[in-house]
Amino acid sequence: MNRRLFKERTILFTLYGFTVCGCLVLAVILATVFMKGAPAISGAFLFEESRNFGLEGGIFYQIAGTLILMMGAALVCLPVALGSVLFQTEFLHSPQVKKIFRLLIYSLNAVPTIIFGLIGYLFFGVFLEAGVSWVTGVLILAVMILPTLHVSIHEAVESIPKHYREAGLALGLSPGQQMRAVILPQSLHGIVTGTLLGLARAAGETAAIMFTATAFSGVRLPQSWTEPVTTLQTHILLLAQEAANPEALTNAWGAGLVLMTIVFVLITVTLWIRSGLEMEAQR
Amino acid sequence: MNLKQKFSEKGPAFWWTGFAALISSGTIFILFISLVIESIPVFKAQGISFLWGTDWFAGEAYGALPMIFGSLMVTGIAVVMVLPFALGSAILTSEFLSGRLRLMVKAAMELLAGVPGIIYGLMGIALLTVWVRDVFGLIDGNTLFTAGFLLAVMILPTVMTLSEDALRSVPGEFRDTALSLGLTRMEMVFKVVVPQALPGLAGAVFLGVGRAMGETIAVMLVIGGIDRIPQPWFNLFAAGQSIPSKIGREAAEALGFDVQWSALIALGLVLFVMVMTLTSAGNILLRKAR
Repeated sequence: MNRRLFKERTILFTLYGFTVCGCLVLAVILATVFMKGAPAISGAFLFEESRNFGLEGGIFYQIAGTLILMMGAALVCLPVALGSVLFQTEFLHSPQVKKIFRLLIYSLNAVPTIIFGLIGYLFFGVFLEAGVSWVTGVLILAVMILPTLHVSIHEAVESIPKHYREAGLALGLSPGQQMRAVILPQSLHGIVTGTLLGLARAAGETAAIMFTATAFSGVRLPQSWTEPVTTLQTHILLLAQEAANPEALTNAWGAGLVLMTIVFVLITVTLWIRSGLEMEAQR
Repeated sequence: MNLKQKFSEKGPAFWWTGFAALISSGTIFILFISLVIESIPVFKAQGISFLWGTDWFAGEAYGALPMIFGSLMVTGIAVVMVLPFALGSAILTSEFLSGRLRLMVKAAMELLAGVPGIIYGLMGIALLTVWVRDVFGLIDGNTLFTAGFLLAVMILPTVMTLSEDALRSVPGEFRDTALSLGLTRMEMVFKVVVPQALPGLAGAVFLGVGRAMGETIAVMLVIGGIDRIPQPWFNLFAAGQSIPSKIGREAAEALGFDVQWSALIALGLVLFVMVMTLTSAGNILLRKAR
């Protein structure tokens, strides 16, 4: 075997090694969470309220709290993201302004989530007087997932063929009619995948809500606008800090398994929709 | 046509989308301005020395240096550890894998990117700290190194996916030319494709670093939480504190209008400026690559 070939093989082998390690990380995470979490899961665990600071009982209200926050956030965020994209694609014409707009959205995407928590609390908690409550949490998460929805919807709208728009214009549609009849139906997949990814991101977020929207124990469903909720994320955080206690750890893994299942289902559906579209495009 | 007429003939669609656009583009400015305004009290109390003070005693003195140091340290560790894995797998995936395998690796990365930070935190506190303690013979596994290791895993999918995109955006003709000149495929990759994609690869790393710097929850659980620069400073196996973990630990007790709250916001401002610098650099590099 000559030296060049030997070098080629060695490097390729190393690259395979790195890639396999990278993918193994995912496998290890999945396996660990599943193996450690599965023993905790039972009907009672899923449908009972937690007792004794989460050491006993289930995680029913935690699941409910996570669902409330993520769905609320997506509901608040969707109209804003959609409107913002449509303004950018339908009413802005200068490429310079579009570029700046994009840059602002990308910057927002990079803001550390804890900063959303800090400033979000000032705005929604103090100025809107919502305090530490689920409403504050929903609004903070809505701002946080805005770039996720924005980018996804924007891509879908941009990829609408030009002649679809021209056909609409030729029929004399006003911009509003054009949006309703042409752009929204044609970009529906982007809206759906963007929302799913946004939901996944909101479900996995802890830092932005831990001191602005949640209480650690003794909370059920909120009865008013200004009550805190309890969530899976903060429940795990609470239990993780008692890692020396095996009961706490078992329940933390159980809650982690439920949380990760929620997130992975959302992402998998997104990937599935996208790969379906790609296959259609290749045909 | 004067301006008034021009605006009055716009339909309602213009106004509601315009309002939404104003919200989404204005948020970043609101964040920045709020951070600046709210951090004024601590700068009034401490002066600019807030930035290089080394003591933080709530109610007495606020010094940000240990937290800034900790953030830079864990991020640095994370980058050094993630680089070979992210770039290696990006090169393999983009240049050597078949379409089907490539999609599988990308899907795995997408899933990995979605794993919630708190899950990493839980794995860190339940497993990684114990391993680090036993492997390196420490008294306590909550160290800067542990946090950096965890961050490396967390930013792997970001850096890998973006690097892979950068490599794939190198036109196929470059590869064909290199191969026709008699280069092996590996020579082609390292002498032609990688140099061409270099700005994009650098951009990917910068964006990853930005994400690592802002990560709160996982770091908070394993970094040890001591506001001190380790002695000597390059001792990776000492407990420390990063900016987000400091904010995460103290925000709940300081919630309101105290100097302590202002000091936390000022920390947030420092973090914001650092992350934005990195991310802007990354975005500029990525755009150049396209």
